[in-house]
Amino acid sequence: MALSLTVNGQHYSLDVELDTPLLWVLRDELNLKGTKFGCGAGLCGACTVHVNGQPTRSCSTPVEYLDGAEITTIEGLSENGELHPLQKAWVAEGVPQCGYCQSGQIMTAAHLLANTPSPSRDEIVTAMSGNLCRCGTYSRIVAAVESVVDGVGHYEPEQGGA
Amino acid sequence: MTMNRRDFMKVSTAASGSLVLAVSLPGCSTIKTGFEEETGQWSPDIWLELTTNDEIFFTLARVEMGQGTYTGLTTLVAEELDVDPARIKVKFAPVAPEYRNPLFGLQLTGGSTSVASSWKPLREAGASARQMLVMAAARVWKVDAADCTTQDGRVVHPNGIDSLRYGQLVELADKEVIRGDVALKPRSEWKYIGRKGGRLDTEAKVTGKAGYGIDVELPGMVYAVMTRCPRYGGKATGFNRSDVMAWPGVLDAFITERGVAVVADRYWRARKAQEALNVEWDFAEAIDLDNDQVFEGYREAANEDAGAQERSDGDFDDAVENASRVVEAEYEQPYLDHAAMEPMNATAWYRDGAMEVWAPTQAPDLARIAAARHSSLSPSNVTVHTTFLGGGFGRRLTQDYVEEVAIVAYKVKKPVKLIWSREEDVRHGFWRPAMLHRMKASFKDSELTGWDHQIVGPQILDWYVRNAAPAQYPWAPQFLYSTLGRVGLMAEGVATPKDISAIEGAIGYPYQVENVSVRHTHTDPGVPITWWRSVGYSHNGFAVETFMDELAHEAGEDPLLFRRKLLANEPRHRAVLDRAAERAGWGTPLAEGRARGIALFKSFGTYVAQVVEASIENGEIKVHKVTCSVDCGQVVNPRVVEDQISGGILFGLSAALFGEISFKNGEVQQSNFHDSRVLRTHEVPEVLVDIVDSDIEPTGVGEPGVPPVIPALGNALFALTGKRQRKLPLTAG
Repeated sequence: MALSLTVNGQHYSLDVELDTPLLWVLRDELNLKGTKFGCGAGLCGACTVHVNGQPTRSCSTPVEYLDGAEITTIEGLSENGELHPLQKAWVAEGVPQCGYCQSGQIMTAAHLLANTPSPSRDEIVTAMSGNLCRCGTYSRIVAAVESVVDGVGHYEPEQGGA
Repeated sequence: MTMNRRDFMKVSTAASGSLVLAVSLPGCSTIKTGFEEETGQWSPDIWLELTTNDEIFFTLARVEMGQGTYTGLTTLVAEELDVDPARIKVKFAPVAPEYRNPLFGLQLTGGSTSVASSWKPLREAGASARQMLVMAAARVWKVDAADCTTQDGRVVHPNGIDSLRYGQLVELADKEVIRGDVALKPRSEWKYIGRKGGRLDTEAKVTGKAGYGIDVELPGMVYAVMTRCPRYGGKATGFNRSDVMAWPGVLDAFITERGVAVVADRYWRARKAQEALNVEWDFAEAIDLDNDQVFEGYREAANEDAGAQERSDGDFDDAVENASRVVEAEYEQPYLDHAAMEPMNATAWYRDGAMEVWAPTQAPDLARIAAARHSSLSPSNVTVHTTFLGGGFGRRLTQDYVEEVAIVAYKVKKPVKLIWSREEDVRHGFWRPAMLHRMKASFKDSELTGWDHQIVGPQILDWYVRNAAPAQYPWAPQFLYSTLGRVGLMAEGVATPKDISAIEGAIGYPYQVENVSVRHTHTDPGVPITWWRSVGYSHNGFAVETFMDELAHEAGEDPLLFRRKLLANEPRHRAVLDRAAERAGWGTPLAEGRARGIALFKSFGTYVAQVVEASIENGEIKVHKVTCSVDCGQVVNPRVVEDQISGGILFGLSAALFGEISFKNGEVQQSNFHDSRVLRTHEVPEVLVDIVDSDIEPTGVGEPGVPPVIPALGNALFALTGKRQRKLPLTAG
């Protein structure tokens, strides 16, 4: 059955089985490999993308609920070739080790800042607690988010972005 | 001075008669050294390629799994080549003897050895290339090479004004000859080593562009999943093939040596068809044990067999006879999962009598053996492409997941990617072995006179040779595998070293005690095991440093001072111990309900002391702060060291608080991150990493952060509750 999706601003009409999780549609049909498979059960957050602006575990979200949805993945976070402020902060803070979980971490953080422009440390930690990092980059992640908050004072989400 | 065409010609002609490259290594068709006119590329050695367009490529022979080789090893070469590391493009090495880790004789990334084993050769590689570029420039300018300098990718004329880019010189440099040893920069002239440089792979990893094994994409690729026997060792004998084949997109389904494979045109379709599988298993050789039986078996073995004497100073029995007091304790440590974030996966393509494999693997040459195992191919028919690894922690030293995809690829003759689910990753692992430790110590009055440590459990190399042998000797009966594995590896030029995986860290007991005995009772319950971040040090660290704490308590002494006075001849141990204690405020008052614990452990040549501050809140252990001092010799990148040590600390804390793979009737009881937990961000303590400034040769940092934190936390809980926990994971109750 045909499915209509807008991913990173681009419209797609796809013929996939409707119980297919969004993750595999993104990765294998659209070749957007930045979103990662970690647990298949919504427990680790590696597959986090935005669906209509909400952070969503794409590994356990069948596409049948997503007809007409607007989806943003890590590949769509930066605009006009410029890194998103969070991506810049991740680079400046030197967050990633193996890096596998970081797409999901950044997407979760981007949603936090889009809705809570000046989060406290506790709010950052709470928002990020659903995303696992086995390398243990947690404190650098919190510092990177804080640096964006501090640097901008008030984070302005871009129109149509996160 | 400006270069003109005539000068170049003249020099080229003059130089053409002499061509010896001091650093090029012979032997392998996949490695080319020298200048190639077609590509305008100069490869002075197996690690470096410089082009006429000023591109510099570095071939990384130690995989990047988060531990920072991509940055660290590139920095070594960049320092001596005198270019900014960020300018160097990194390529992952193919399999070739030249890329073997000299410490293992295998192309393997593990044992926290990457910087230590590359420290000299990579700096020499960079320095040699730089020296040849300088000599070429000097010849062009007709000046003395010793008067020329280099600056970020250019050779600078003695006049300090003119310069030539490396790219302009590569063709000429190829003709230069280095006689004798090449000089390395003194420490005072380093620009990049020892600096907090950013990692070179960061941008790729924050934009989703870094390519992991799971991201490999090939034309016409199909997907496979594998259903393995729920009990290790069982074999599939039959299944409902027609049911499975009826599912949409399914291309094939068949029994393999590793279970039942389902191949489909989409990953999700393979998964759905897998759910319809009904497999008949032969459990004849399958494990059938409960967790308790593992430790009962260990106790029986320990009672019957005193074990191989691995260290013996003085006479422990004599010490006991003359003791005023004898203390004994027994520690139980469970099987542990690696839980790398990227589930096991690999991709393979069999065509034209050869196999290509793309894999996130810590051991590409072992992957070749694994890929060839169940085919008519020899390992030399297999090419392995290494990708970024979404975590390794030792799990990716075992090549079972490569073996699986190769079996499928050999049969379907299409590019195929095989991905494990998280549940499969948890249930079909190769684990850190469960271990039992029996400790005994003697005091004569207040003096510790004797130390006896009996380690009970398996050793990892047994599993390694069992896996390697069938590839080399398919005709041999299974009982010969262990022997043949060793012989086979030696025939390939790889000497199987003595397996110290069970005893490492125990035999190196650093405290000055007159009578020391370390024994290993070798017993193996048949549960699959492999290396796990810090390996034997992980369980020996807990046993040694918990027992030291018990002994301090028995002696009525402060745990810091008790250790300290036994380290008079161990200055590096003592230094990190003192530094950690001082920085943690050891002995100063704490908030009510909190306590500190201390531990000290050397592993992989690196000295680490840690102080943990913990409490119990709402029935749960809360770790507030970990203060760590580390001496790893010369630091290549302090940021990477800090990250590796603090990452190791969190890895150890996950094990201390949650880590356990348990069995019931041979089946693993855990399945995913909800019941096989790892630390989450709200559970993370404040971590302070203090690095000792040193110019001693560098040692590893990927693993040494792990061992001390587990006993340090246990010791803090003892200080808090007065109750000694001798079994992991730790509990609040």
